[in-house]
Amino acid sequence: MNSQRDQAYLKTRVGIYASRLLSAEDIRILKQMSLHQLGERFDLLPIFEQEIEIRQKSGLVEHQLLQQLMNELKVLLRPLSGRSRGLILYWPRKYELYNLKTLIQGKWNNLGIQEIRHNLYALPENIRLPHEALLQAENVQEMLRQLERGPYSQIASQARTIYEEQHENFSLGAAIDRLYYTGMLAQANITDCSDKRGLKKAIGCMVDRQNILWLMRYRLVYQFAPSEVYYLLIPYGGQIQRDKLMELANVEGLDTIIEQLPDPFHSLLAGSANITDARQRLDFWVSDELRKLMLGSRDGVVAALCYLISRDTDIWRLYAIIQGKLLGMTNELLDEAVSGIKGSSSSEEAA
Amino acid sequence: MFSPLPMKQISIKVLNEDLPGASVILAGLNNFSPDNRPYAENALTEIPGQHFREQYNQAKSRLDKISALVSYTPTPFDGEVTTITEAELEQANQWLGEAWETCSDFEERQRRLTEESRNISQLETSLANFSNLDVDLGQLQQDQPFLESSIGVVSSNRVEQLKDAIGLDGYLLFPFLQSEKESHVLIIGAKRTEHSKLKSVLDTAGFRPLDIPPELHTEPETAKSRLAERHAAVDENSQQLNLEIVAWRANALQGLEQAAQTLHLAVPYVALGEAARKSGKLARLQGWVPAEDMAQVEEALQQKLPNAFVLESRDPLPEERAIVPSVMRHSRLFKPFSSLVMQYGVPRYGEVNPTHLFALTYILMFGMMFGDVGHGAVILGAALIWRRKLGSFTPFGVAAGISSMVFGLLYGSIFGFEHLFHAWWIAPLSDPLYMLTVALLWGIGFIVISSLLNIINHLVQGDRLGALFGDNGLLSLLLYSGMLGSGYSLYAEGSVGGFWATLAILTLIGIFAHKLIEQEASIGERILVAFIETFETITGYASNTLSFLRVAAFSLNHVALAIAVFTLAGMMGDTGHWITVVLGNVFILVLEGLIVAIQVLRLEFYEGFSRFYAGDGKAFKPLTLS
Repeated sequence: MNSQRDQAYLKTRVGIYASRLLSAEDIRILKQMSLHQLGERFDLLPIFEQEIEIRQKSGLVEHQLLQQLMNELKVLLRPLSGRSRGLILYWPRKYELYNLKTLIQGKWNNLGIQEIRHNLYALPENIRLPHEALLQAENVQEMLRQLERGPYSQIASQARTIYEEQHENFSLGAAIDRLYYTGMLAQANITDCSDKRGLKKAIGCMVDRQNILWLMRYRLVYQFAPSEVYYLLIPYGGQIQRDKLMELANVEGLDTIIEQLPDPFHSLLAGSANITDARQRLDFWVSDELRKLMLGSRDGVVAALCYLISRDTDIWRLYAIIQGKLLGMTNELLDEAVSGIKGSSSSEEAA
Repeated sequence: MFSPLPMKQISIKVLNEDLPGASVILAGLNNFSPDNRPYAENALTEIPGQHFREQYNQAKSRLDKISALVSYTPTPFDGEVTTITEAELEQANQWLGEAWETCSDFEERQRRLTEESRNISQLETSLANFSNLDVDLGQLQQDQPFLESSIGVVSSNRVEQLKDAIGLDGYLLFPFLQSEKESHVLIIGAKRTEHSKLKSVLDTAGFRPLDIPPELHTEPETAKSRLAERHAAVDENSQQLNLEIVAWRANALQGLEQAAQTLHLAVPYVALGEAARKSGKLARLQGWVPAEDMAQVEEALQQKLPNAFVLESRDPLPEERAIVPSVMRHSRLFKPFSSLVMQYGVPRYGEVNPTHLFALTYILMFGMMFGDVGHGAVILGAALIWRRKLGSFTPFGVAAGISSMVFGLLYGSIFGFEHLFHAWWIAPLSDPLYMLTVALLWGIGFIVISSLLNIINHLVQGDRLGALFGDNGLLSLLLYSGMLGSGYSLYAEGSVGGFWATLAILTLIGIFAHKLIEQEASIGERILVAFIETFETITGYASNTLSFLRVAAFSLNHVALAIAVFTLAGMMGDTGHWITVVLGNVFILVLEGLIVAIQVLRLEFYEGFSRFYAGDGKAFKPLTLS
């Protein structure tokens, strides 16, 4: 996308859409709202008024919110062509990867077709897996055979190893996440966007966030060896690179990990009580950084990408609030639910 | 003829048990398209046939998988048309399930054999790589007192990170054979007394050890021959498996045929989808039928449905226009042109069907751009000779050939010879400016007709605002007239005529104001979008008109190419002269002919259809048994 007209169009669009992003204050207010008020504000009342199970309502809300996001994506894609378009189209592929994981785990656990289908995201045609064929597979091996014939052959062969040797399946989730982020970086490297630094910074923020959380989880919860932890990380972060990751992989204990982190993460996470707390702080940091980039970048593609990621985070925060209200959660529980958003994070968290 | 056929919305009330039968009868007629919209009546809440559909989908998926594995193609259906019951479908699905179980086992065995073959190939590659070293591979895998080592394959893009990762545990990694996808690596480290962490990292990395069997722990030459033996064994197993598959296919053929026929007859009921609803014993199905076929539908139902039914029909409502399927029935002559129109899009119900206009203008433009009696005759002859291969596209070739011949007579050209007979109208190169003027006027006429069709389309759809203010609406057409009038005044009188200039400015303001009002956004975005779109309207008309200059340009180009061929031929001897003339004509026919065909299509689609033809109609997809 080189034309000034397209840049102007894209930036104007992002500028208009940016007013929809939620501030911390907006989130606080949304948490205080009743379900009816939320329904009125976000056009969800028809769903809330239906006489169906909470689970179904929740599914419909999720579908509608995701649909909103996909509609905005379609509008932002309009002026884009070539590699810029490829980059922006790559971003929502994470939902395709969530679906991939759901399909594998669904077959793994012998869930019925309807049950698995219910848990899949409805995605636009161009980023959708051949769900129906995969769903009709009669067992895990058959589905893996189908996947091995396509672009996910690497994931399929890893899943086969895990399936046949009955290992923990964390490495499958990690492989899927890594595939997504490395693919995103590859797209960023070949794009014709004029603000590559801004673009890499945006992706770097996401990778750093992901690496820190993985590092903490694998070291502290799963107690993996340093070599295994390092292998599962992505050595192309924004501010934490290969050498620092190797160093961090050897560290033990939450406080020591935080102490060893470079700034701004050191000061940002200082005093974090647990991984959930750290994740909440990191999510807000990523949101702030992306919003700054969105306003400051001279390139519409960077602004559009930052907007989409921020909007995605917001939508899942909103979804968490609505889900909490549907389930009758208290405000304290809602706080935790909002921190446990999945939109900006890995498929591992989503599933 | 000039728009899709009038349609009727029909509703058929039948007993539940007659619903599958009704679907089969309608499928036999090939003129009923189900309407899947939700029903207005709350009384009919259930969607019948859900279980039937699930069974069908599963069975169809199984049949497709089996067909792909055993290379089976169902024979075309020619039996008696009957209604398939749910029990029959379940039985077929169960049989296919059992059949697929066997086939899935074949497929898994095939996969394992392929995997084994790949592993052996990798071992052979590794061996070849090690042969220069002349070392005993077994030494690398034997239990050493102080050394731990592994040979295997990992994904190439993860080698560096794996090297760093195992480096943290004091292991060394040596890639010794790398390709774009995979790398063979050797991993060595000091043997640990505690539990090795290496395995879990390697598992995570998807490391596939090259498990060298004990019998290969020997010199490379011996190992090589043993690997060849293993390869031969795998090939033999593959052949054996293929024989088993062929034998199974022969046994199962009758069952497969029967299942395929069952599924074939189940399709109409499955395809009804949500167009049918039921409550208690009553069911209703709704859909669209061409008005002229209504009597046929009623007669068929009366003759074949065992129980009473109620058939109601009505004209489509104005608000239903967007969802009414478009049926176009053309004579054989217009079929190829209709296919090309469909490449652009299906006309909306009520919208002008541009097939006839397209056929006429396409043929005229092709002839004008490629006018030559000889070349036209070759195209005509080729179309007639290869009429079987061309099928329904034969009339297209015939018409293009005749048009080219007619314009060839008008231009006085035969196989590039310009002086064999006198032009009935004009030799293009004798007055290029005249040719360009004719093309320009043709283009203006084409654009005006397209815009008028657009206005008609909007009016037919009841969209008066669109007809007046929309893109290529009345205001845009007046703006175009103003631009043309101003341009002509400037050319003929040296000044822009007051009337035309006023017309252009007023219509421009009208278009801008409308675009400003119709936007739903902030004022800044409205102004930006309205400005860009209005500007595009002006540039669109100007550039589209100039595009038609290519009609003249290609007629000139055709002559120029012929001159080039004859100039080259003139440089050759007697034999060379005629060879060059023949080859040159072949070149012109194939290359220029193709380019002209594409250019005309471009003019039709881009300069014509984009002005008046939404092409977003709903294709008529009837229930069918074929």
